[in-house]
Amino acid sequence: MSWLQGLEAIGIFLALALLFGLALGYAAVRFKVEGNPMAERLDQELPQTQCGQCGFPGCKPYAEALARGESEVNLCVPGGTEVMIKIAEITGRDPKQMAEGVEENPPIETAWINEDLCIGCVLCIKACPVDAILGATKLMHTVIQKECTGCELCVPVCPVDCIEMRPVATHLKNWQWPEPETLVHNKPLASLLVREG
Amino acid sequence: MAFLSTLAKLISPLYPMAKRWLYRFHGGIFPQYNKSLSTRNPIVPAILPSELILPLSQAVGEVAEPVVQVGDRVRKNQLIARSKEDAERKLVVAIHAPTSGNIVAIEPRTLAHPSGLKELCLVLQPDGQNDAIENALHSDGAWPQTPQALKKLLAESGIIGMGGAGFPTYAKLPNVPGKIHTLIINGAECEPFISCDDLLMQTQAQEILLGGQITANALGAQQLLCGIETNKPDAIAAIQQAITQLQALNQAPVPMQLMQVATVYPMGGQKQLVYEMTGIELQSGGHASDQGLLMMNVATLRAIYRAVQLGEPLTSRLVTVSGLGLESGFNVEALIGTPFDELAALARPKFPLDYPLIMGGPMMGVQMPNNHVPVLKTTNCILANPPQPREIQMPCIRCGECMDACPVNLLPQQMYWHAQGHEFDKVEKLNIKDCIECGCCSYVCPSHIPLVQYYRHAKAEIKQRHAEKAAAELAKQRHAFRLARLEREKAEREARLKAKKAAVKTMPAAATNEAATLVTENATTLSAREKAILAAQAAAARKEGQTDNDKKTKGQSLGTNKDKTAAAEAAKKRALEAAQKARATTATPKTADTPSPVTPQNARDKAIAAAKAAAAKKAVALPPLATDQITDLSANEGFTSTALQKEEARRAAVEAARANAKARKALKDSGTENITAATAEPSTPMMDARQKAIAAAKAAAAKRAQTPPQSDAIAKKDRSE
Repeated sequence: MSWLQGLEAIGIFLALALLFGLALGYAAVRFKVEGNPMAERLDQELPQTQCGQCGFPGCKPYAEALARGESEVNLCVPGGTEVMIKIAEITGRDPKQMAEGVEENPPIETAWINEDLCIGCVLCIKACPVDAILGATKLMHTVIQKECTGCELCVPVCPVDCIEMRPVATHLKNWQWPEPETLVHNKPLASLLVREG
Repeated sequence: MAFLSTLAKLISPLYPMAKRWLYRFHGGIFPQYNKSLSTRNPIVPAILPSELILPLSQAVGEVAEPVVQVGDRVRKNQLIARSKEDAERKLVVAIHAPTSGNIVAIEPRTLAHPSGLKELCLVLQPDGQNDAIENALHSDGAWPQTPQALKKLLAESGIIGMGGAGFPTYAKLPNVPGKIHTLIINGAECEPFISCDDLLMQTQAQEILLGGQITANALGAQQLLCGIETNKPDAIAAIQQAITQLQALNQAPVPMQLMQVATVYPMGGQKQLVYEMTGIELQSGGHASDQGLLMMNVATLRAIYRAVQLGEPLTSRLVTVSGLGLESGFNVEALIGTPFDELAALARPKFPLDYPLIMGGPMMGVQMPNNHVPVLKTTNCILANPPQPREIQMPCIRCGECMDACPVNLLPQQMYWHAQGHEFDKVEKLNIKDCIECGCCSYVCPSHIPLVQYYRHAKAEIKQRHAEKAAAELAKQRHAFRLARLEREKAEREARLKAKKAAVKTMPAAATNEAATLVTENATTLSAREKAILAAQAAAARKEGQTDNDKKTKGQSLGTNKDKTAAAEAAKKRALEAAQKARATTATPKTADTPSPVTPQNARDKAIAAAKAAAAKKAVALPPLATDQITDLSANEGFTSTALQKEEARRAAVEAARANAKARKALKDSGTENITAATAEPSTPMMDARQKAIAAAKAAAAKRAQTPPQSDAIAKKDRSE
């Protein structure tokens, strides 16, 4: 009857396989994740300036390309090294040096239109990725400072060069306490005394 | 309790931390108080400084709007600035003139703020007459019975929290009566050197308690508790006496109670004092009013009393002028806006005041960027402590002293560690937002690490990161919306194009159908109804095409992109029409050749047939092989030619504009004539282009319009026959 026992074992395992298969199949349908979670997470970390300096038309396409593994981790210029490290962490790839000439922690700037020179050509309005420029044909344009991401996309398209980037002014509401200067000496105190003496 | 306090006193010389047994909250320190420096001298009456500086921006909320102009003479208690819009939302309180005089300037002045930023201030030059408006708030002396009435009065009187935070008092009060069960009067004043609340309680105990009664009464509170530290025996005695007096006079509708609390820094903190007096721990991140509690500083309550009873706005406050660098510290009833340096100079400085003064006490105070900054409604102390040689900062040895001293149960060394490493998300997880910046940790640190400065920086950094995150989220939404909008516009454009194409197709199709029916079948087979329907369809199709075209022509002026598409569409449509007409010739010859006099033709059908014939004649110019290929080709040709024209015109316009802008840049100051002349010019090429387009459209429309009259004429002829 040993063959029967063998059949019994096979039967049990087949039943188990069927059970787990059904469970997995159900879970795949029931707990299906919409969209690409990695792209979503990457998109959360990107600065959302929509500047296109990475070569993609906006932050989301870059995040999606990163999630597919089709893009380098160090392309986000406004994000700088900090965002690059976060991207590398999420994608599980090695961090990479930022490209040459990328300024670390660039000052936050917003676009500003010299309204005396503006001819109302609406070119900048079309270029703005977040609709932060207000104006109409042959009417003066202006930037909604609160909405401007500082992507600089409007600067090159202006035919009369009336747009410039200006640093955000410090006032009482956005003033920050400075970081204390670290006075910790890592050298032994004796060496300090010798130098001073 | 008595036994415990005796025991603590006994062993405190050996073990100072034994004093911590005497109160409920964790941590706390026992610094040198130095309060007698200022309490030993009597209160100095208000001095008239050379100028009063009144900042339009307060510690909290938006900037107030001045209601006076430079050169105006104002009287004491006159309203000089108020909120532009809804005060409730903007957290702005009114500003009143502290004395009579002239407004000499409204200009940016350095604020009493560690940043040293300049903001708009009203500068008032006193005239020395102190000519006051009595009862400026038009109070009748009756106590407000609802929270709303009290809040309205408080917003008008310009009262903000005078303990230090400066939150507008009216905004602190709940709208619903009965939400607050206990009103706590904060007379703890735990910071070293400061004694203004102590002296106020000694001299104005009744006013303070009446202010408390007014507030508690309006809010429907059940009890009034007054907490005073044990190191102010005179104030305790004065308050106790005032309580008895008021109760004897029956002026105390809400039961009052005085509670003595242990002398420890920071007993005056809201969370600490509430826990000490009621045993209730305030929630992290919540308001005290959510838990039925409200705490007010003694000076705020006195201001409330004066506003309600005397109609007097908040224009002065008691300020302690003290410090190790002054010969005789004192308390002064200072007008709001009095410069620090003028007050400090009255206290006979031991050394020239060339070092920065401190606003507030030695623990939580901030150094002023400039000594000529004004006293604010929140300024309780002007401290002149000459700079000490700074202790050399050593590495953290993880002794844990700061943790033992922290009155809000945080982990200061962990927070320091992460703040130093710029790991601000970790600092945030350690609940840095609950840090009250009391400075106990820095005080006890054996390595002299300026811990509080690290926390302040970290807090600011975290706040900024949150703001950036919110801005990024907003940008993301706006970008997504823009993409959706562009997509929608594109779809709409395509749908329009499709509809128009369909219209163009159905029109000749219907016509040919009709024509075919005419030729092959007898007209009698078509019922009148069917004919009408067909005719209506054809007419509708024609009309739709026309209006669409009109729209396009109008739209040309809107934007270059639209220009192109509109031109392309117009050209395509024209080509299509031509092609279809040509195609129609193959079908229509029979109709044209055989006038078929026998069939009782409908007038309209005849007209259409005639129109077709005319079109066919017109289309003879085109080769008979009017296929789609040719249609496309002609459409493209039409598109490119018009687009090229447009492009050229636009380029010329932009060139002109650019030249103009340059000229304007250069001649910015040389009068307006040039500019107007220049502005007129660039528009001409654009205008030309547009006019051309309009003319073309008009011509097309005219051509189209010609056909119906023709058919009408034929129809008439037919009828006459």
